[in-house]
Amino acid sequence: MSDKNSYFNRAHRLGRIGALISILFMVGIPIVICVVYDVIPSFNEVITTAVGLLAVYVPTALSEFVSYTPMLGTACYITFITGNVGNMKIPCALNAMEMTDSPLGTERGDTVSAIAVSVSSMVTMAIIALGVVLLVPLQPILQNPTVQVATSFMLPALFGSMVVTNVANNKSGEYRIKNRVLTMLAPMACVIAFHYLVMPINGKEGYTMIATIPLTIALAYIMYRTGIVKVEKEGK
Amino acid sequence: MTFLSIMNSTPLYIMVMLGLGFVFLLCVLTLRQAWQRARELGLTREEIMGVVKSSALFCIVPSLSVVVGLFSLQAMIGVPWAWFRLSVVGAVSYELVAADMAATGAGYDSLSALVEANDPNVVGAVMLAMSLGIIGGVVACLLFGKSIQTGMTSFREKSGAWGALVMSCFVMALMAVFAPARSIFMGPVATLTLITSALITIAHRWIIKKFGVKWLSNFVMADALILGMVSAVFWNALLS
Repeated sequence: MSDKNSYFNRAHRLGRIGALISILFMVGIPIVICVVYDVIPSFNEVITTAVGLLAVYVPTALSEFVSYTPMLGTACYITFITGNVGNMKIPCALNAMEMTDSPLGTERGDTVSAIAVSVSSMVTMAIIALGVVLLVPLQPILQNPTVQVATSFMLPALFGSMVVTNVANNKSGEYRIKNRVLTMLAPMACVIAFHYLVMPINGKEGYTMIATIPLTIALAYIMYRTGIVKVEKEGK
Repeated sequence: MTFLSIMNSTPLYIMVMLGLGFVFLLCVLTLRQAWQRARELGLTREEIMGVVKSSALFCIVPSLSVVVGLFSLQAMIGVPWAWFRLSVVGAVSYELVAADMAATGAGYDSLSALVEANDPNVVGAVMLAMSLGIIGGVVACLLFGKSIQTGMTSFREKSGAWGALVMSCFVMALMAVFAPARSIFMGPVATLTLITSALITIAHRWIIKKFGVKWLSNFVMADALILGMVSAVFWNALLS
């Protein structure tokens, strides 16, 4: 037990120190540049410039944090520091847990998520660095209209695979969940109805997740209590 | 000095490279720590390498779309800051909008108007606004990351079968929101792309099971992503 706590403690310590230093870089770089070039803005100028952004992005960032952190465990630090959470890090973490049969909320799931997210972050950073070096020759290729169409449909291509992988996998650690797909279909029907009957959710997926997580748990509870969804220990 | 000359200056390049070097080092340390623990928990080297290969392969294509974002963003805010923003915290979809909102917040009609004016005095306000606007998730991790992870782990341990079902609900909620949001809510091309990608995944899983080719599981997500995107070009041409 102490060994396990030791891993989690070390992972949180590393993550927190990393997050703190990253914040210092994010805020420190503009400050240093302003000092070097003697273009220091007033506090009012910064606030006036930032107020619109803060109003939009702080709630979005917090909604993403609340929705995604339970799936990431200690990998949340490196995930939120490197960004691209929903389109790269979450798929990588879920794929890694599925591949190694390591359930969410366990130490095993936590370690494979951290491995997947770290690798994903390093690959992305290396490719962006390469993009900076090859800025001129790469531009016409990556801005070709066909490539642009393909990249604009990247997320549907990603979620098609993720849905199948997660629906097909009915295991959760030592348990097997019978009719697991119903715990997705019921809230999905609610999301679709809300989108068409109340208001479109495009661009508000983070907020929708905050409402959908408790709804999914509540519907799963009803289906579990009524025997529609069964959770059995493996080998039983 | 002008806005763009500061935004493409050597000191900014140096600072950005230092910052990115630190984040890369953090990734290496996180990987090393998790790898060691995974081995202690009984995962084989092959299993871990499978995760590494699959994650690396999967990320190549989405990362190229980030590079496309870099091309657009660097024309407006210079190469180093665009590089930093897209590597740390940022996502392609956010950064152009964030830069534009910072420009309007600074009193310009748009980001293009700010670049045209080339006023060096707005450098600090724009850069700081872009940073402050996006660090909410990192700050929240710093404050609440540990309590959420600890709560999830202890709930799972204590709650048995119900705990296992609750854990699976987080992933199911994600699918319940994003499967329709990235298909029918986006239109017929997106829907057909999602279905194509799903069918490719089903075909991969069938081949893996039927012929016992376990190595193929490292490529499922990357293959589905690439072939799904190729199919999007076809569906788009067919339906437009």
